[in-house]
This record gives sequence, C-alpha cells and structure tokens, in this order.
Amino acid sequence: MRRYGFPFPVPREAVYSWAKPLKLPERGPVILYTGALYQLTPYIASVVEQLSTIEGSRVSGIALKLSGILSSLGVSRLVVRPKSDMVSVVERILKSIVGLLERSRVKVAYPYEDDMYSGVLLYDLGLDELFKGHAVKVYKALKSRGAELIVTVDPHTTHIMRSVYPRYVDGYDLKVKSYLEILAEGGAEFKQGSIGGRVVIHDPCLYARFENVVEHPRKLLSTAGFEVLEPRRSRKMTYCCGGPIEGLTPRMAKMIAKTRFEELREKSKTIVTLCPICYTNLKAVAEDDVDVVDIALLLSGVKP
Amino acid sequence: MTFNSLQAYQEIWDALSDSEFQEALRRASTTSQVKVEGLLAERRDLLELCREVVEAKKRSVDLLGELVERAYRSLEAVKAKPYYAEEAEEARRIIGSIVGSGKLVVMAKSMAAMEVGLRGYLESLGNEVWETDLGELLVQLEGSRPMHTITPAAHMTRLKAVKLISEKLGVKLKSDSVEEAVKTVREFLRGKIVKADVGVSGANALAADTGAIVLVENESNIRLVTSTPPIHIALVPIDKIVPTLLDAVKVAMVQAAYAGLYPPTYINIIAGPSSTADIERVRVYGAQGPRELHVVLLDNGRMKASKDTLLKEQLRCIRCGRCQYECPVWVHTANKWGGPAYGGPMGLVWTAITVDPIEAGKLAYLCLGCGRCDTSCPVEIPLSTILRHLKSIASRSSQAQVTQTP
Repeated sequence: MRRYGFPFPVPREAVYSWAKPLKLPERGPVILYTGALYQLTPYIASVVEQLSTIEGSRVSGIALKLSGILSSLGVSRLVVRPKSDMVSVVERILKSIVGLLERSRVKVAYPYEDDMYSGVLLYDLGLDELFKGHAVKVYKALKSRGAELIVTVDPHTTHIMRSVYPRYVDGYDLKVKSYLEILAEGGAEFKQGSIGGRVVIHDPCLYARFENVVEHPRKLLSTAGFEVLEPRRSRKMTYCCGGPIEGLTPRMAKMIAKTRFEELREKSKTIVTLCPICYTNLKAVAEDDVDVVDIALLLSGVKP
Repeated sequence: MTFNSLQAYQEIWDALSDSEFQEALRRASTTSQVKVEGLLAERRDLLELCREVVEAKKRSVDLLGELVERAYRSLEAVKAKPYYAEEAEEARRIIGSIVGSGKLVVMAKSMAAMEVGLRGYLESLGNEVWETDLGELLVQLEGSRPMHTITPAAHMTRLKAVKLISEKLGVKLKSDSVEEAVKTVREFLRGKIVKADVGVSGANALAADTGAIVLVENESNIRLVTSTPPIHIALVPIDKIVPTLLDAVKVAMVQAAYAGLYPPTYINIIAGPSSTADIERVRVYGAQGPRELHVVLLDNGRMKASKDTLLKEQLRCIRCGRCQYECPVWVHTANKWGGPAYGGPMGLVWTAITVDPIEAGKLAYLCLGCGRCDTSCPVEIPLSTILRHLKSIASRSSQAQVTQTP
C-alpha cells in the first residue's frame, strides 16, 4: 500500500489514462475526483478470483488472509492483471460522467496524476494510522490543484471524502458532491423518449444510509424516461451486494450478491447500479438474460 | 470464558456448506423482516415508544453506578436478595452456592446464563437442568448453542426439530407435525417444572425505583419457571437496569415489537418473592409462588464499557435480535459469527465487552459496513461504527505483534 498507493500493485497511469484524450483542465475550483475506485475494480475482480482458490483450503486460507490484512500488506504480493473487458466498461462509464456534467454545463478540472486512491480500504479495515497519513496526502494534492468543490463518482469515495476525511484531516475544507447530486440539483435535461424502459434500482448502502443520496438517481432516471422499479428492500433499507467482504470470503460475498440479484431480477431484467463494487458483484452472479448497467451509461444513452 | 476467532471462522465456513442451516435461516430472516416491517408501518406509536426507551436507556448508562446502588436497595426493600457479580465466574459461584447439588433446575431462556456458562456449570455440580423455552430446549437437546437472541433454534428446520424431540426425549411422535411436537414438550416440561427445586431466569429490564424485574414472553414458560419452584434466581446484567418500572415495561414492549411479537402474550412483573398477609395481617413469604427471590446483578465488563465513549452506546441494547435478522452476513452464519454467547452485529460488541475486544475485532472483519443494523436498531446503537472500531483494535494488536516478532 505504501509503495503503490493502492491495496495491490496497479500502474499509476491506469487511474487517469481514460481522461487523456479528453484534455480536461488540470486545475480549478471544481475538480472531478474519482478516488480510483472505478479504475481499481478490474484489478479487484482479478484478485478476488485468485483469493477464491485460497478459500478452498478453509481455515488456513482465512489465517493467511487475516494475517495479510492485519499486517496491512493487503494482497500486494499477488500478481494482478486487470480483467480487460472490465477496463473498457470502466472507461466508458467515466467518460459518460464527464459528458453528463458537460451537458449540464458543469465545468470540471481533472487532476490526472493526483487522482489518487482515497484510502477507503485502509479505513474500512480500521488501519487508522495509515489511513490518516494517506488522507493528508490526498487532501494536499487536491488543494494544490486549486480544489474547493470535489465531484465524486462513487458512493465509497463520496462518503469517505465528505463524512470521514473531516475527522482525520486538520483544517479540511473541501465541499464534496456526488455527480448524481450535481446533475439532479442542477436540473439535468435529457432527450425525452430517446432512451427509456423499465429498470430496477439497486441503492448502494453508503449513498442510501450514510449520504442521503436516495432520490437523486431516481429523479435522473425518470427524467431520462425510465420507469424506476423498487426491489423489496430499497432506499434506507437497501441490501448489500456483498462486495466489502469479497477479499476475505469470496464465497459468502457471492451468496449475498446472489440473494440480492434474485430480488432485483424479480422486478426487471435491467438492474441499475450506482457503484463499481455493486456493479462487479451483481454482474458476477448475473445470468445472461439480465443486464447489470451503471447509471452513467443509462443516462448517457450508451447501449449497455 | 475464552474465545478463539479462528475456530469461529472454521465453524462459519462449515455452516456455509450446510444447506439445511442456510435454508432455515433464509426462511426465518425473511419472515421476520417482513413481519416487523409491516408492524412498524401499521403502528407508528411504537416508534415514539422507541424514542422514549432511547432516552431512558441513555440516562441509565450515564448513571449506571448510581442505578446499581438504587436497584440494590429497592431489591432489599421488596425482600429479594441482591448480589453483585463482577465477573462471569463470580456469578456462577454465587448461583452454584444457592442451588447446591442434586437439585432439579428449570431455566427460562436467558442469554446472560449463556454468557456465564450457567447450565453446564450447574450440571457439573450434579444438578439436573432443563431449558423450558422450546427453542432453547431444542438447542440443549442438539448440544449446540442459541443461534439467535430471541429465536434460539432459528437455524433448525421443522423436520430437524421434530426429529430431535423424538430422539432425545425418548418420545415416539406419531407425525412430524409441529403441533404434536409442542404438545409433547409441554407435557415433558410440565413434569419437570412442577417438581423443580429452583427456577432460573434472566430479565428484560430491572426497575431501580422498585426492584421490579420485567420479563416478556409468549410461551408462558417464564411465568411457570419464575412462579412454580420455591426458589427463583434471576441473573440480570447491569445494563438492564432502568430508572423506573414504567421504563422497564416500555423496554419489554419495544423488545417484543422489534422481535416481531406484538402485542406480547405476557409481560411479567416480579417485585420480590410471593407472600400473603391474609391471616391476621402477618406477612408470610412463599404463598403460591417462590419463597425466595435471588437477583444476581452481572457486571462482566459492563461498568468499564460504560466509561468508554463508543462501547457505552452498546449498553442501550435491548436484545431484540433485530440487527441479526437484518444483517446480510448473519443470515448466512447465525450466531456462529459473534462469540461464545451472542451473535451478529450486537453480538460482536457484547463479545468485545464481556470476553475479548481483540478476538471480537478479528471476527468483525466479516462486517460489510453496510449499516443495515444501524438503521434497524430500535435504540439507535451505531453498530457499524463500533464494529469498525473493533477492527481497528484488532489491527493495532496485530501490528504490535508483527513489530515484536524478530
């Protein structure tokens, strides 16, 4: 983690290469900060695949993983190749988000090399000292780019930047908004009728229960012409995709994802996700006749 | 009591492959979720009651030391005999010396008894001990431990339960119907309860102002256990003490509602041993109910927790088991994830308070941090925040170990 700035070895360019052709300004008061979570998911998926084989050996596997987590080595010694099909999906999602913001006349800068991982994993594992050090580094980098408002693209980064960083970083003064909030509050307009259909929404836990981003995606989807269906457990009582424990127990994570997937599929064969972790986990258990689609692609009218 | 998280992980892993266990939990949790959701949508007054309980519990935790003393005096005033057990072992010893050996003991489901390992201890002294709550009896017959706070046999299917009763109680059941099983257990347990020397219960709440114990139930086994034998022993964790009797009844009502059993069939209020003064106004103890009531107040880490800014929040817990049924991890593990007595989100924190924060922290790594427990908790315990804190305790201890290793 200390060497790469990520929980496992990932080349730095993998985080910002998607934005190179867009030639966005590199500094400004409004900064698009992805926190690298979307870009890491193709790597996470690959790591989880490797961990699944360790899990076969039961307790010895757990002991190994616990010691890995606890000594904060994470899985940094594994060789990680990203899943290539996922890399291109992630690039399309991130480009769509920039496109949506532009269509709503929101100008964002992008910090390229300074679009660092937010340290979510360190925080989730309770590695407070390491997390604090990392958070201070990220904050300074964003400030050096002139940031006043940062626009986030996933629930984990939104939560950590808005509700956790202020408790760890002295003098923290960044305003944080998810792009979904910016689009919904700015009255984003979509070409009516060009896209549409019946979709079922899967609320990510952090948006729904911790950051109160509940109505925004619904408003955006219905403005874009979609009929939004609710699963049995939705909004504040939404059900987890299993993602947060996929590193420790891919098997249980899959069982949780499967339960959620079945519940969503009952309502529609198009499942909308708002988080790259939810996307990966639901996609991994989805059957072929069901589409799991990121909301940014749906709103942009990009065919899933 | 010692506890090893690695062994718990092993049990959890095995449980994931147990299809009967998984199916029973899936059914139980779905039914419970839908039931409580419906109840709360219909009865908005229950939410107001929750807020009152939160306030009462907050006051209680802040005044814990004082409330314990007040409860002590009130218990004496109603002729109950109070004791204070700082640790589990002390609680076992106190109760063991009241019971003695060669006795027949009947127990009303108590997680506190589980916490101190009471049943096994009383058996080791040479007593015959029976659980009287149906779920708890099934768990006793299975030789396992409660898999949920309110419904201990949540992990058993009907067939499994019927088979256990038929095999272990030596009764040939004619069918696999639940009705016949319940009837058989009723007859079997009545035989024991009527002859029992001692009845042991827990408590949902203890009122400091009156020394009254409040117990909520549906089976009526608590009524029988606390009123039939000549001696009643109540093991009461000190976090169950609230300022007034009204507060105590409210706790019982909220607990029942969030367990999906509302209205509860019975709420018992017990303030002292049974007595009569019908002849020449002379008070005689031991009328139709017990002549002795012993109340063992159990600390076991709670007083210390009441001084910790985060752990003190857990002392509001009313053991409704809501966070268990709502947790996406618990529905695959039941109480195998949590500790020796308690399970699920609240169970991990109780394990941290009563057994070992580091081992609890190691198990907390399975927490998704999804926050469904926070949102479901009737007394607003920030469970996911506390669990993350436990992870950091485990991480720090492990880092310290890594540094110390040459």
